[in-house]
Amino acid sequence: MDSQYVIAYADKSILKISGLKVRGLNTRALEQLLFKKLNTFVRVIGVTGEQIEMDAYNVSPETVRKNADGFIDAIALAEGVTVTELVSLSCSEAIREVDFNKIPSLPNEGCAKERWMQKS
Amino acid sequence: MKKVYILPTGDEIKAGIVLDIDSVEIMRQILCLYPEAQVTRLSPLVDEQDAIVDSINSVTAYKPDVIVLIGGSGGGHRHSETLGKDFTHTALDAFLDEKAIREIYGKNGHLWCRIVCGKKGETLVFNVPGPYEEAKAACAAFFAGLW
Repeated sequence: MDSQYVIAYADKSILKISGLKVRGLNTRALEQLLFKKLNTFVRVIGVTGEQIEMDAYNVSPETVRKNADGFIDAIALAEGVTVTELVSLSCSEAIREVDFNKIPSLPNEGCAKERWMQKS
Repeated sequence: MKKVYILPTGDEIKAGIVLDIDSVEIMRQILCLYPEAQVTRLSPLVDEQDAIVDSINSVTAYKPDVIVLIGGSGGGHRHSETLGKDFTHTALDAFLDEKAIREIYGKNGHLWCRIVCGKKGETLVFNVPGPYEEAKAACAAFFAGLW
């Protein structure tokens, strides 16, 4: 078995928008809308009928929080999304770096984060 | 290239919450390269490893040249309980005889993407990430490698 990995040193925060009705979401169109709004890459990573979770790269959580209303307005324009009166946006802190040298090497025994947590 | 199966995965795709735009793009790429190919997109699979393995297994019986699985390539539920369950790559681990694996980790130690490519008999099988741009790029890289 040939196995290799790379570590992406990118900064990202996780955006969660809840209080939505989602049906037939075009994720690419939503990512393009938010790219124009944030001037950075956004990727939809999780969707339910009421919530959308996204990775936002190279943007600070403070910037997101300050412009929360603007983001919700942008999301409301996306195909397949209806905003309800309960809509809210939350944003995590930026991801923190961990030392990969401290991650035990156990291929196929869970991902690196799981192995790192098991050791900690 | 005569016969290709596309297997989208994900509860949100199956429920129609998210449009399956990846299958359309992958089919477009295949037909550009192999105009005579017979491309079949199966009904979306739920995020369960056994269901994914069973589906690949049943499709392999038709002896396709290639099977493409979409989505479920990250750490998913292993990092966040609000994210979907990502079992496509582990299903391929369990299913494939010989394989090559490429993983991308974030600096936070989370698994962002795990691509598994291998063979079962004469059939080539690989997975692509769910986000459209990444699915498009991964599929293009696979077919570029075949040429």
